[in-house]
Amino acid sequence: MEVVVRADREGDSARLILAGPFDLPHAVTTAQEIANIEASLAGCRAVELDLAGVDDIDGAGAVQLAGLVDRVEAQGSTTQVLDEHNPKAARLIALYRQRRTVTPPVVPRPYPILARLGSVAGQLPRTLASALDFVGHSAAAAGPALTAPHTVNWRALPHLVQQVGADGLPVASGANLLVGLIIGFLGVSQLGRFGATVYVPELVVVAHFRELGPLVTAIVIAGRSGAGLASEIATMKVSEEIDALRAMGFDPVRWLVVPRCVALVLALPVLTWVGDLLALLGGMVATTSLTDMSTRGYVMATAHAITATGLLAGLIKTPFLALAIGLIACGQGLATQGGAAAVGARTTTAVVLSIFSVIVISALFTLLFALIGL
Amino acid sequence: MAQSRPHIVVEDLRIGWGTRVLMEHVTFDVERGTTFTILGGSGSGKSTLLRHLIGLERPLAGSIDIDGIGVPHRYEGVPRFGVLFQSGALFGSMSLEENLALPLTTWTSIRGSLMRELVEAKLDLVGLGPFARHLPGEISGGMKKRAGIARAMMLEPELLFFDEPSAGLDPITAYELDQLILTLSRDLGITIVVVTHELPSIFLVADACIVLDKAAKGIVARGDPRTLRDQSNIPFVHGFFTRSSPAAAASHGVR
Repeated sequence: MEVVVRADREGDSARLILAGPFDLPHAVTTAQEIANIEASLAGCRAVELDLAGVDDIDGAGAVQLAGLVDRVEAQGSTTQVLDEHNPKAARLIALYRQRRTVTPPVVPRPYPILARLGSVAGQLPRTLASALDFVGHSAAAAGPALTAPHTVNWRALPHLVQQVGADGLPVASGANLLVGLIIGFLGVSQLGRFGATVYVPELVVVAHFRELGPLVTAIVIAGRSGAGLASEIATMKVSEEIDALRAMGFDPVRWLVVPRCVALVLALPVLTWVGDLLALLGGMVATTSLTDMSTRGYVMATAHAITATGLLAGLIKTPFLALAIGLIACGQGLATQGGAAAVGARTTTAVVLSIFSVIVISALFTLLFALIGL
Repeated sequence: MAQSRPHIVVEDLRIGWGTRVLMEHVTFDVERGTTFTILGGSGSGKSTLLRHLIGLERPLAGSIDIDGIGVPHRYEGVPRFGVLFQSGALFGSMSLEENLALPLTTWTSIRGSLMRELVEAKLDLVGLGPFARHLPGEISGGMKKRAGIARAMMLEPELLFFDEPSAGLDPITAYELDQLILTLSRDLGITIVVVTHELPSIFLVADACIVLDKAAKGIVARGDPRTLRDQSNIPFVHGFFTRSSPAAAASHGVR
């Protein structure tokens, strides 16, 4: 059965004859019927709604008829809902009319790009201040963490080291192995043009030990563990676990951030060192498979190229990279406000900032080593 | 006639995981247009039973029919019932009006001004009209539950399930929510199944109830909650309705 909305007009009064199903499946048709008939009610002083033909009505139909009655009355007409034949429909219409609140429409303000830039720039000092505040708070927490070890969750440390280190070993190792392979292939193809493939082992050692090993490992750990730590702490924040820690007298920075940063500082150098070894393997596979250099020759050349300075120049920066990842991930987690969406947003920010900061710190170390002649 | 048949028919339901049986021999009907409450102490399986009724879990045995159709078929098209979860379960990244519009955009061709009109009407119905553009994180727990009810009603279901609607709310907010349940039941004719253990809510809204007991692994009483409160001689049921220990009830002659 189809929805029928008909107006029988007599002078300045009209009777709206309603028939058919006024329910959600017919809501679009009902809206069209109402829109068609509304114009013909202009100038009416009295409008009656005859609900006798309404054979099914639900909230959607009642809302539409309530809206019609409200609009007719807003134009100065009086309305009457004839309810004797369909009290349920009349009751529903009355219910939705009674509950209706007039909320002023929100006009979206124009927000041009310059205003957005200004807004971001305006927030920058506060963001910077809170980041420095968090770093300061974390540094201040390190001392008491040693003098009052019970205020730090040291029991979580072995599990965290396993999470960051052992569980991250396959992906970090795989990435380093492939990078070693890539350097080997590049070295063979480029140095081979000058007949200098004998220097490929040294290239792999220098490039990977000093720069790429720590960088690649830190980026992998920033993506993997940084995201994990940020989302874990962010979830704790939105589920009020952080508030519970505070209420019990714990400092969340000392209890949560310190062990996570310590775990990263312990695990990252080891992962980097293992990664360095695998990169050498990758370089060896590439070189020995593409040139006539023997495995023994490659190993000898590599051993000759490895120096304590080169190895330490790479490993010495890993604790700083680990600290950056830990502080950014935990800081973003603790700054979370809101619900599930905020957890995702903070985790994304943590990963992006961690990776960017890892690259910046590596670049600064390279600059420093160049300046001091290392 | 279909209208005279019970809205929900549960027969000999057995619920559990693997070999562990949480409850068994669960049989009850819910009449159309009534408010039915599932009662019981903490851990008695009230919410688990609700999850089975709405098809989120499968029973070990027995059947659940809604409108004569088995529950596992519920999710094969437009959902014919609405559910209010304990927390409201609103999507945090969407405003209230976006949360409410979601079922309409998914299951109907309603768009534009008509959709806004229907969303605003439902928000007005639960008293949240002025908060349409707020995010769930910006409103109180009671408001979230009311918004959850409004969203559950967007597809005009004839059946609503509420999981602990009053839990964690202050008495006034809980009373307002109970009044809303009464409005939905009496004015809109919706069948409502409520899981709760809030006594004031039970006596205000419930037409009928079942009482679950963890120790008995099933239903220990059924009927009008006011009658059960006044006449039940089962210590657990008497203790539940009078907020006293079953042992004390037994010592006072309730067997």
